[in-house]
Amino acid sequence: MATEKPTSVRIRCYDVGFGDCFLLTFAYPSRERHVLIDFGSFPKPKRKSAGNMAAIARHIHATCKGKLTAVVATHRHADHISGFATTKKGDGSGDIIRACEPDVVVQPWTEKLDAAVDSPGPHGFLAADRAHVAALADMDRFRQSLLRRLADPPRGWGSAVRELGFLGEDGLRNAAAVKNLESMAPPKGRRYVFCGAESGLGAVLPGVGVRVLGPPTISQSAAIEAQRKRDDAEFWHILAATAEGGAGAAAGDGGGAGGSPFGARYRRKTGIPGFARWTVSHADKLLRQELLSIVRRMDEYLNNTSVILLFEIGRRKLLFPGDAQIESWSYALSKPEIQTLLAGVDVYKVGHHGSLNATPKARLWGRFRKRNRKETPGRLVTFLSTESGHHGTAKSHTEVPRATLLKALESESRLFRTDVAKQLTKKKGVAFIEHVVKV
Amino acid sequence: MPEVLHTPITPEETVLLRIVAQDPSVKSGGRMLTARVAVPAERLEPGPWGHRVQVLDYDSSSRVYCAPLVYQVDRRGLPVDPFVAASDRALLTNPQFHQQNVYAIVTRTLATFERVLGRRLSWGFHAHQLKVVPHAFQDANAFYSDRGAGLFFGYFAGGSGQVFSCLAHDVVAHETAHALLDGLRTRFTDPSSSDQAAFHEAFADVVALLSVFQIPEIVSELLAGLGHRRRKGVPRGILGDKLFVSRVLLGMGKEMGGALHLPGRVLRSSYALGPDRGAYRSPGFAEPHRRGELLVAAMLRAFVRVWQARLQPLGVGGHGDLDRERVVEEGASAAGHLLGIAIRGIDYTPPVHLLFGDFLSAILTADQEIQPDDSRFQYRRKLLASFAELGIAPTARAPSRLRAEREPRTRGLWCPVDGRDLSYHGVHQEAMRRDPDEVFRFLWENRTALKLKDEAYSQVMSVRPCRRIAPDGAPLQETVVEFSQTWDLTQRERRRLGLPASDGEAEDDDKTTPLVGGATLIFDDFGRLKYFIHNSVGSLRRQADRLAYKRDALRGGLAPARQFDEMHRRRAIDDLLLGSAERW
Repeated sequence: MATEKPTSVRIRCYDVGFGDCFLLTFAYPSRERHVLIDFGSFPKPKRKSAGNMAAIARHIHATCKGKLTAVVATHRHADHISGFATTKKGDGSGDIIRACEPDVVVQPWTEKLDAAVDSPGPHGFLAADRAHVAALADMDRFRQSLLRRLADPPRGWGSAVRELGFLGEDGLRNAAAVKNLESMAPPKGRRYVFCGAESGLGAVLPGVGVRVLGPPTISQSAAIEAQRKRDDAEFWHILAATAEGGAGAAAGDGGGAGGSPFGARYRRKTGIPGFARWTVSHADKLLRQELLSIVRRMDEYLNNTSVILLFEIGRRKLLFPGDAQIESWSYALSKPEIQTLLAGVDVYKVGHHGSLNATPKARLWGRFRKRNRKETPGRLVTFLSTESGHHGTAKSHTEVPRATLLKALESESRLFRTDVAKQLTKKKGVAFIEHVVKV
Repeated sequence: MPEVLHTPITPEETVLLRIVAQDPSVKSGGRMLTARVAVPAERLEPGPWGHRVQVLDYDSSSRVYCAPLVYQVDRRGLPVDPFVAASDRALLTNPQFHQQNVYAIVTRTLATFERVLGRRLSWGFHAHQLKVVPHAFQDANAFYSDRGAGLFFGYFAGGSGQVFSCLAHDVVAHETAHALLDGLRTRFTDPSSSDQAAFHEAFADVVALLSVFQIPEIVSELLAGLGHRRRKGVPRGILGDKLFVSRVLLGMGKEMGGALHLPGRVLRSSYALGPDRGAYRSPGFAEPHRRGELLVAAMLRAFVRVWQARLQPLGVGGHGDLDRERVVEEGASAAGHLLGIAIRGIDYTPPVHLLFGDFLSAILTADQEIQPDDSRFQYRRKLLASFAELGIAPTARAPSRLRAEREPRTRGLWCPVDGRDLSYHGVHQEAMRRDPDEVFRFLWENRTALKLKDEAYSQVMSVRPCRRIAPDGAPLQETVVEFSQTWDLTQRERRRLGLPASDGEAEDDDKTTPLVGGATLIFDDFGRLKYFIHNSVGSLRRQADRLAYKRDALRGGLAPARQFDEMHRRRAIDDLLLGSAERW
């Protein structure tokens, strides 16, 4: 019997503000199958029409008639999974999605290494892979400590408190969403994947090839980064332990009050002397700078756990890379056969809401064959789900979305973006972009 | 307290202060290995707070200010070390010992630089006193901040307990070296090339490494740890022994256990690189962190070679062990001598756009000037060989006819100036030793002979008279001048010259692209120019490389070299900086 094939894919890109939420509807001759890729928003959207997560969940529920074939949670950032959170009452947006009973839920291997499908090599995961997962947990511990500390920030930290809070909270493990995702699919449909692993989507989407291009495991990355000499899990472990007060507690001599590593008898009785005020003020600023630098690095680590999926339907190719940055892309892009495949991409979900380093400029964008300055039938289609003013600054060339990338997307592809009101369809408190790819 | 006699303190006087020899994890006989080191004597305020270094013990994380160390003084008002007989626990848990530890190491490092360079040094910021904050915050980092005019040391939870970065000798020496180098060459933090991006960190590593090897207690303990503790002897050929390399050269930092990744620690693993003449040109060593390791490895190789050479007179091919004390002594001498060569070399580097080859030519030339006879241990030959093994050749080439240079005495040295074409008309020799305007007059008079760019903005950045003392005691008087030229190009001019935009300028015709060049001038005792070590502002090929590097560095997210905190963290997590080609 010939395999059933979809005749088209309808892509709905919901306006969640800063975040991602894509519903892919594969139209088969006799039915439809629906795959939800990410469902998150963080921080609170500036656009009034954006980010009504309960309404979006109801819309998804109605669209798929109460049945999702699969859910993909690319990575743990709140702007990708916050919508999956449930409530005790059972009326959260995550409860509505759960009621759609997906057969398969795809997540990165870093979420649950022991449950990850297959294994990256004959000897399974290496110690470095396990250490990486431990490092991600340590980063979470660090974020929790940081957020506690931000309740009473030192004077003079000003706007840094907002960015620290944003990055800390965005990366913080959303327990309700994570728990929901973990058990949403039946056991055999819970897939924790890495580059080259079987996604489990092929079985539920007849006629559709789905390749997992990322995230690579540490052992995979090591294969192309021969010069990297050590894993850095220990460093993050130290940071987490330190942030949790381990540094103060281990000092001996009773430790000091307020986290000081030294006993109270060593404290200067008359406070900070006048001649030290200038240095004290600088030291406070340096600490703020240190913390910002750390949480930004952690943010990048989490982005690089993103699942990268390539859907192949007939000759059409749809690429959904989550927030994967160049470090994560490097492994897949080092493979000539993947380079060839990616050159023919028809639809590209712009990585990380248009940041400067999530759409590899030369090795990915530069190789997309269907980029075209003219509006032709086979022209590359791109989706950008974003909201400006949350990440980076134009002055430091780090704004999201990045102006130079936007310019390229606008001139060389048919760009759909959630921050352009006229592109959005609004129904029942929900705004979304709809585009049909015919196969 | 005894009555203080206000007798003058001579510059040569020192006091002995106890410090942690390497770090608290290095033990001898079950006790933390400490050393008493000589630091220049001065009457100290509570802190310790001297005329160049002020210790301020404030912790940003806990917002606690620790009481400063107040010394008891002797009859002359000089500090008396209160920690001479203190227990390990007392040393570790008393922040005032930590204050003494950083004060002593920073002051000692500063004194070494000043002695070698033969003059007082300025910091890289507009203040006379370097602030040192031994417990600045809870963080696995330590760094120099020019904006904060000081050194900031973090503390953190290590695998087996508390880790204070201010108690790691190499970390303190490393950060001090950053501060000193910034004072000597402010523009070495400009984005110019991967060599320059790597140099600050590599030089600080070299200073830290050789400073530690100068402490006899450490080397003795490490040699004893090789299984020869009970004997006073050390096997012949020990320096070629694999165990020596793995335990002593590569293993010193590993003692820290859980604190292995402490930023600022010297990455000695580069020594393990076999000789690889392709390394310097290899893309694998283009990334600044990696590249810096090449320079450290080259210096480390030269150090071991010299140490071996110094042991030769003790009997080649003989039998029996070598006297351990003598081996230690020779190692400390080799380290001290090489440290002097490395520091002195900075005066002979161009003030902008440094390449490793420039540094090599600089250290060879500076050493040649102070010690013309190198026949005994052949330091210069060993340096050349060690750098060559990693593919680093001296920049100095054949004499330039355009600038009337002479042949250097040996290969790789800067070419001396042939003074016949230079005019000293109207220039006062005495004023040339201190007055930037007088030096500028000399440059102006000789702008054609020295091929200076007329259109460029020119500035004498510093005039530094030095009185150096050779190892044999002979004085060498020199004046070191830093001179820079900045040539602002309109975008039209830049395009006409075929130069790339450095960033964002291409789209904006109102912006100019600055090209920077400069020279270091070394004048002799008689005010005659000996060396003109230059990076011409008009050298378009090299300027094109620099602009391209600057553009890539900005787009590639390379931390500005002035951000030592960010640089150290990236190094700690082995964070490779990816090229700019993939960023927007």
